[in-house]
Amino acid sequence: MKTALSILTAATLATVSAQGALAQETVKIGVLQSYSGMTSLGGQQTDFAIKTFMQKYGETPGGFKLQLIRRDTTGPNPEVAKRLVGEVVTREKVQLLIGPDFTPNTLAAAPILTEAKVPSFVTGAATTGIVGEKSPYSTRTFFATPQLCKPLAPYAVKQGWTKIFVVVADFAPGHECEKFFVEALKEANGTLVGNLRTPLSNPEYSGYIQRIRDAKPDGVFIFMPLGELSIGIVRAINDSGLKASGLKIMGTGDITDEGYIDAVGEAAVGVITSGIYSTQHDSALNKEFVKSYTAVAGEKNRIGWSAVSAWDAMRLTYDALDAQKGQKFDGEKFAAFLRGHKIESPRGPITIDKSNGDIIQNVYIRRAERVNGVLQNIEIETFKDVSFK
Amino acid sequence: MASILTVLFNGVAYGFLLFVMSVGLSVTLGMMNFVNLAQASFSMLGGYILVTAMQSHGLPFLVCLPIVFVLVGAVSVIVERLIFRHFYKTDDLTQVLLTIGLVFMSIAMATYFWGGSYQRFDMPSWIIGQKEIFGLTLETYRIFLVGFGAVMAVALIFGLERTQLGAMVRACVDNRRVAGACGLNTELIFAFTFAIGGGLAGLGGALSANLLGLDPNFPLRYLVYILIVVSVGGMGTITGTLIAALTLGIADVLGKYYFPQFGSFIIYLLTVAFMLWRPHGLLGRGA
Amino acid sequence: MSVMEPAPAAVSQSGHDYFATLARWKIWEILFWAALAGCYFVPEMDRMLMSRVIIWGLFAMSLDILLGYRGIPSLGHAVFFGTGAYVAGFCGKYGWSEPISALFFAMAVAAALGWLTGKLVQRVAGVGLLMVTLGLNLILFDFVLRSTDLTGGDDGLQGIVIAPVLNMFRFDIYGRTAFWYALVVSFILFIATRILVNSPFGLALIGARENPRRMITLGAPVEGDVSRAFMIAAAIAGAAGALLTQTTQTVAPPTLSFQRSADVLVILIIGGAGRLYGGFIGAIVFILLQDYLSSISPVYWYFWIGLLLVVIVSFFRKGLLPSLDALLQRFIKRKPDAPS
Repeated sequence: MKTALSILTAATLATVSAQGALAQETVKIGVLQSYSGMTSLGGQQTDFAIKTFMQKYGETPGGFKLQLIRRDTTGPNPEVAKRLVGEVVTREKVQLLIGPDFTPNTLAAAPILTEAKVPSFVTGAATTGIVGEKSPYSTRTFFATPQLCKPLAPYAVKQGWTKIFVVVADFAPGHECEKFFVEALKEANGTLVGNLRTPLSNPEYSGYIQRIRDAKPDGVFIFMPLGELSIGIVRAINDSGLKASGLKIMGTGDITDEGYIDAVGEAAVGVITSGIYSTQHDSALNKEFVKSYTAVAGEKNRIGWSAVSAWDAMRLTYDALDAQKGQKFDGEKFAAFLRGHKIESPRGPITIDKSNGDIIQNVYIRRAERVNGVLQNIEIETFKDVSFK
Repeated sequence: MASILTVLFNGVAYGFLLFVMSVGLSVTLGMMNFVNLAQASFSMLGGYILVTAMQSHGLPFLVCLPIVFVLVGAVSVIVERLIFRHFYKTDDLTQVLLTIGLVFMSIAMATYFWGGSYQRFDMPSWIIGQKEIFGLTLETYRIFLVGFGAVMAVALIFGLERTQLGAMVRACVDNRRVAGACGLNTELIFAFTFAIGGGLAGLGGALSANLLGLDPNFPLRYLVYILIVVSVGGMGTITGTLIAALTLGIADVLGKYYFPQFGSFIIYLLTVAFMLWRPHGLLGRGA
Repeated sequence: MSVMEPAPAAVSQSGHDYFATLARWKIWEILFWAALAGCYFVPEMDRMLMSRVIIWGLFAMSLDILLGYRGIPSLGHAVFFGTGAYVAGFCGKYGWSEPISALFFAMAVAAALGWLTGKLVQRVAGVGLLMVTLGLNLILFDFVLRSTDLTGGDDGLQGIVIAPVLNMFRFDIYGRTAFWYALVVSFILFIATRILVNSPFGLALIGARENPRRMITLGAPVEGDVSRAFMIAAAIAGAAGALLTQTTQTVAPPTLSFQRSADVLVILIIGGAGRLYGGFIGAIVFILLQDYLSSISPVYWYFWIGLLLVVIVSFFRKGLLPSLDALLQRFIKRKPDAPS
């Protein structure tokens, strides 16, 4: 009620001042993330990042007043996401969107956003080709699957780990990641000694782990969605004694994600992952980012990729709004401004591709270690300006 | 050969994991005929109590287990006195709706008190790692689980199912008025059985949370497994629950080893086949 | 199973009169549908949300045929909803974009699956039935999720094109067409169901629910009725699924998840089983509150929805509709509908 009242007051004030010389236009931003259920950490991190950013850089970029409208997508659920996008676009009249998260939700939202010409930021979906042609107003600040799934193959071969076993979760993103990794492994002259697709609801890995053991690989590459699966498999490989006997555990950053790594525990130490962001990234901006984020969210809520993606979405929003200073908000100009735009992110430099709004960024190979008793991902090698293709 | 035996052992261990998770529901549903899906929430509570006691208060793992049993048992009696006892005479679907509502509430409450992320378990060093037994390399925690589960099963079958107490509980369920007239304190017996069921669910949560991961969605993630084990085993029989858990556990692990492309199909197909073959469960008494 | 309304009391009148009484429309029924249609004209109304409510109502009504009229609880009703949804999706993807004929086709496929399911489970009851339907639901969900090439897996089916209804009304982002299309189709299917349950067939279902043994001695085909009831319920659930696909142009695995089967059961029981309207009432309450709660408290709305369920079962034991009806009966002395 309080917020409703303050919005009302703000609206009245806006009308009053519009009659004067200085009009302050309100830009409504829809924030569509998962706030409940198994994937709620993404929504939580997004909220913290936005709050931190607005505290730090003010609430009126380019003289526009920002108003956030949050909705819960509940996870990968395109039917819900599409309806929520429709609702915030047609009834709340949002002019910008952060989200929705997940590939199926992003795909479902695309036609509405295109029809209504509402620019959006893809902060939580990684499938290739979901920004670009079908959604001319979308900008990706997350990552694209190949960026994460390819670099580990040449890295592993270079270290002399040539016989690789691949384990992915048995769903579309898993299949895509498997494809990119196996391709890159072939290119790097590594050998695929076996592969497994494991079910999405799977409390028990021992049967699979015995298969890995039988194949005698040098290393195992893992792709699992964040949560019970990403935690479970690393712990299971560790508990079975395979890690102690010298098997290298590799995977996309999901398996040592900062939000979940404490639950993985000791099993995570030494795991090699490819990632776009680590809180340990060495740059002045990142140190600043970690400090102010932690001040808002508290030590307990660690910083994951959703946070940094939302942060960059805010950075880009502020840049684009500054460019429209003194004018009326224009969604098409907003999206066009971002094409080819380059910013310094806490993760390092990122560029929004000129032709389709996808992201070009550095990818880091990291090793999980304890730093002052806390599990962290230490960047040990950098692949510069990796393409989204 | 060694790998087959290891797989088999892991199957047995998974079976006992399923058993400790489901036995709480088996007691309340099987003996008291009350469909309490909130048992899964009691399991989650058990996991959180274990984490808090171990991580924040530094208590040893083995000391924590009885604490979990007693505390969760106490909580379940409170819930029983406040809410459940008004619903003993309602039909199954009403009980399902009531308890699923409680599960939803418990998820939000766990998020509020413990946060939405997964909990960290620092298990004592004697229980992690592997041991060599008969030339097989087995995981220590799984050995512990098999031992603990076996003791629990024996204690429950002989201490609860085949004793006077068991007979008294069944008498209260079958005909409360007559049981009361025979001098049984039905209220007390119901509350007591509920406490045991809740305590067991808590224990199951504490023992499994380390392997399965613990977050506020724990109840919804494992409810289906618990339901499958209890119904395949048959209502009102702890022995049945044990047999079902072991069968499904072994089948699942063997299936994943020999036919990994089938994924979860095997456990679901088995469930459907069992239930078509014996609609009241393997050892169920029938309606 | 006593959530259901008791069977209509024996009445000393001719069979013809009896069925005629059942078939008569009551004033509140007309008001109900008029109010639903009237929602369209309320300014600021979220029409996509309302069409979602109507679709869930239809889905819950289809379960009511099984649970409320035949006394068969199912934990896998989303199988038929999802089948309808995916069939409609495949139609839209491979060039059969005309919605109404595709809807019929989706119903036919779902009905066939329902008939098969009925055959499979006709000798199973109680817990066995719940677990078999649950198991079938999990198997289908797993299959759809894993078959990325066939179904798009987790991403859902892509490239669904739905032509304008009757070649005139395009599905727009404001949900105008979606609302009317969902409402009209649901209303027609409702009327069909209403005629069906008020026919001798419907009475036979209720008879088998109340006392199957006696029905057999009367010579009624009790087992055969199970597969027929499943077939009809599945067809309507399939229609609801197809409506969802066509009005949103998306279909993804959540349409046939176990969660959906549980939700529809919750909706039906909240509203009250055995009344045809229970599903619609339940959907209005559950879906609207869920939407409202999740928008005011995105993180903790689970708590409030859980509390809602607990409160409803505590104070409206038999579901909203029957409890309110009983309340009404008590306070307003009204003439009984049937002459006694």
